[in-house]
Amino acid sequence: MAFELQDTKMSVADTKISLADTKISLIENKMSLMEKLGILSDAAKYDVSCSSSGVGRKGDGTGIGNTLKAGICHSFGADGRCISLLKILFTNECIYDCKYCINRRSNDVPRASFTPDEICELTIQFYRRNYIEGLFLSSGILYSPDYTMELIYEAVYKLRTVYRFQGYVHVKAIPGAAPELVHRLGLLADRMSVNLELPTAEGLRSLAPNKHRKNILTPMRQIQQGITQNKNEITLYRHAPSFVPAGQSTQMIVGATPESDYQIMMVAENLYRKFDLKRVYYSAFVSVNEDKDLPALPGGPPLLREHRLYQADWLLRFYGFEAQELLSQEKPNFNVLLDPKADWALRHLEQFPVEINRADYRTILRVPGIGVKSAQRIVRARRSGSLNFDDLKKIGVTLKRALYFITCGGRMMYPTKMEEDYITRNLIGEKEKLPFDRDGMTYQQLSLFDDNQEPMWRQAINS
Amino acid sequence: MICEDSLEGIFTGIYDAYLKRKPHAQVHLCVGQEDNYRLFAVYEQCSPKEEKAVKVARTIGRELGEEAYMAICRALASPEPDKGEAVYKMVVAGLSMKNKKGVMGNLKDPFIRRVFELARFTANEAHYHVEFLRFKELENGILYAQMGPKNNVITFIVPHFADRLPLENFVIHDILREIYALHPAGKDWYLVTGDGKEKPGQALVYSQEEQKYGELFTHFFHTIAIKERGNYGLQRNMLPLRYRKYMTEFQ
Repeated sequence: MAFELQDTKMSVADTKISLADTKISLIENKMSLMEKLGILSDAAKYDVSCSSSGVGRKGDGTGIGNTLKAGICHSFGADGRCISLLKILFTNECIYDCKYCINRRSNDVPRASFTPDEICELTIQFYRRNYIEGLFLSSGILYSPDYTMELIYEAVYKLRTVYRFQGYVHVKAIPGAAPELVHRLGLLADRMSVNLELPTAEGLRSLAPNKHRKNILTPMRQIQQGITQNKNEITLYRHAPSFVPAGQSTQMIVGATPESDYQIMMVAENLYRKFDLKRVYYSAFVSVNEDKDLPALPGGPPLLREHRLYQADWLLRFYGFEAQELLSQEKPNFNVLLDPKADWALRHLEQFPVEINRADYRTILRVPGIGVKSAQRIVRARRSGSLNFDDLKKIGVTLKRALYFITCGGRMMYPTKMEEDYITRNLIGEKEKLPFDRDGMTYQQLSLFDDNQEPMWRQAINS
Repeated sequence: MICEDSLEGIFTGIYDAYLKRKPHAQVHLCVGQEDNYRLFAVYEQCSPKEEKAVKVARTIGRELGEEAYMAICRALASPEPDKGEAVYKMVVAGLSMKNKKGVMGNLKDPFIRRVFELARFTANEAHYHVEFLRFKELENGILYAQMGPKNNVITFIVPHFADRLPLENFVIHDILREIYALHPAGKDWYLVTGDGKEKPGQALVYSQEEQKYGELFTHFFHTIAIKERGNYGLQRNMLPLRYRKYMTEFQ
C-alpha cells in the first residue's frame, strides 16, 4: 500500500514538469478564465452523460460535498438537457482527426487548456453555490493517451486531496492509456466512461480512423473487472478504497453511420449484459463538420430516432424486455408513429387483455400506458381491495393507451375490438407526447406538397 | 374542529377528535378559518397541546410505521386547507386496516390518496429546491440563499445542505414565510422565524468573488446548450418558471 502511494506522488510530480512544457507550446496562453470556460465547455457539450447518480455517500464533515444515489440536476439548458456536472474538457487540442468531432485536428477552432488549479477552483466555487453536483472531466488527446490521462489524474487528485472534495466526479478513460493509469484514476472517480463513439467497428473505421474498437473495449473490460474485484474487497475490508462506485457508462452516436436500430439495440444489450454498464447513452448526430463521409441532415439531428432508442433502452433495463422481442432482422427499425412498447403489444395481442387485479407484476409492466411506478402502486393497492378503472386513473395509469389492453374485474373499459388495425388507429389518433417539437415554439409552414410526412407514413405502413 | 396550522395543532386536533367518541364520519378537522361554513355543524376551537401531539405522533409512528409518518409530515407542510381532514381520516382508515404498516399502499381510499398526493407534492418541491437553490456569498463569507416555495419545505432540505457543506456558514431564507435556517460552520443547524419587519434584501452586500463566479456560471450555462437541439418547452417542464427568479443563471 505504502509503495503504491509513493508511486502516485512520483508520477504527479512528473506531470507537473511536463505541464510547464505545455504552457510554452500554447500560443494563446493569456486567455481569461471566462474565455477558457467558454471554449472548453462548448467543446464538451456533445458528451451526453451528465448524470450524477449511482452512488450515495454522506460527507465526513472534514471537507465539502456528498452524493445522492438518485443524482441531482442543478439546472436545465436551453436544449432542455440537465446540467448536473461542470462538464468541461481539460484541453480541446487533439492529435486525432475523427470526422464527426468539432475538436478534430484538422479543424480551425480556438484551442485552450485549463490548469489543474483552475479546474479545482471552479469546481469548488460552483459547488459551494449549489450550481453543480460535481465535475465531469474529459479531454482531447494531447500528445498521447497516457499524457492526457496523467493531466486528468493530476486535476482529480488535487481536487480530492488538497481541496477535500467529496462530491461527484465523472472522468473519461482515454482509450489506449496504460491500464495502471486507468486503475489509479478509478480509485478517485465515482463514474468512468469510455465512449464507444459508433455502434459498429465498421462505422468507427470509416469516421474515426485513429480509434480502434479493441482499444475502446479494453479499458471498458478493465473497469468492469475492477468494479467486481473492488466489490469483493469491500465485503472483506469495509474501508477499502472504492473503485468507480457509480459504475461505468458509454455513448454512441446515432445517425452518422448507416446502422439500423436493431444493430444498435443489440450492441446496447450486449454492453449491459457482458460489460455490466450502468447506462448506454445515444446521441443524435449533430452535424458540426462538413465532410463527404458524413450524412447531410436537412431536418436537424435525428431526435425522434434517439427518443425511440431511449424508450427501448428503458424497456431493456426496467421492463424486462429483450432487444430480440422489440426488433428483428426483418423489422430492423422502430416504428415512427408508435412507441416501442405499444408497437410490441400490438404485435402480441394474443397476450392481452390483462386482468389488473390478478396478473403478476411483470405482466402488468408490459401493458402500454403503465409504467414502473404505476405497476408498483397497482400491485400494492390491490392487496386492500379490487381496483376499478377510476382507481387506475387516479393511481397514474394512462388509460387512453392502456384501455385496449386491460380488464378490471373481467370487464374492459369500453367494448373494444381486439384487432390490430383498430387499436393502431386509435393509438395513433391519440397524439403521443414527445419531448420536442410540440412546445409551440417551432413552427412549420403548411404546404400542399408536404414531403416530410409522406416517407414517415410509408415507413409506418411498411413496418 | 378548528385547529392551528402546524404539526402540533393538527395532531392535537386528531387527539381531541378521538376524545369525542363520535362516528368519525361526523367529525371534521379544518385548519385555520374555514371560508365556507357547513350547515348544521358545531364549530369547536382546539388549541395545540404538546403532550397530546406527542401521543398522536408516537401512535402514528408505532402503528402505521415510518413511511406513513413521513408522508404525514410532508402532507402537513402543504398550504392546502383540506390537509388536516385528509390526515385525520387517513389515520382513522389506517388504524382500522389489517396491515397497518401498509397504509400508504391503499390508494383506493380517497383520504389516503389525498395525503399521498400532498406528500408527493411537498417531496417533489423539496427536491426542486435541493436542485435549484442558489447560494450567494456575502461580504463576510456567509452563503445566503433565498427561496419562495409553495409548501413549507425548509426543514426537509436543510439536512441535505448541512451534510454537504459542513464547514460553511450558510443561511437559507424562505421569503414567503420569513423563516431562516442557519448553519454555523461545524455545528448543528437551527431555525429562526423573522418578524417580517426588517427587509434584509437591501442590506445584503455580496463579496467581490460573487459576481465573477455568477458570471462564469451563467456563461457556462449558455455554452453548454446545443443550439441544434434547442427545446424551450422541455426546459420549462423540467425547470418551472417560478423557481427561476431566485436562480443566478436567469438573472
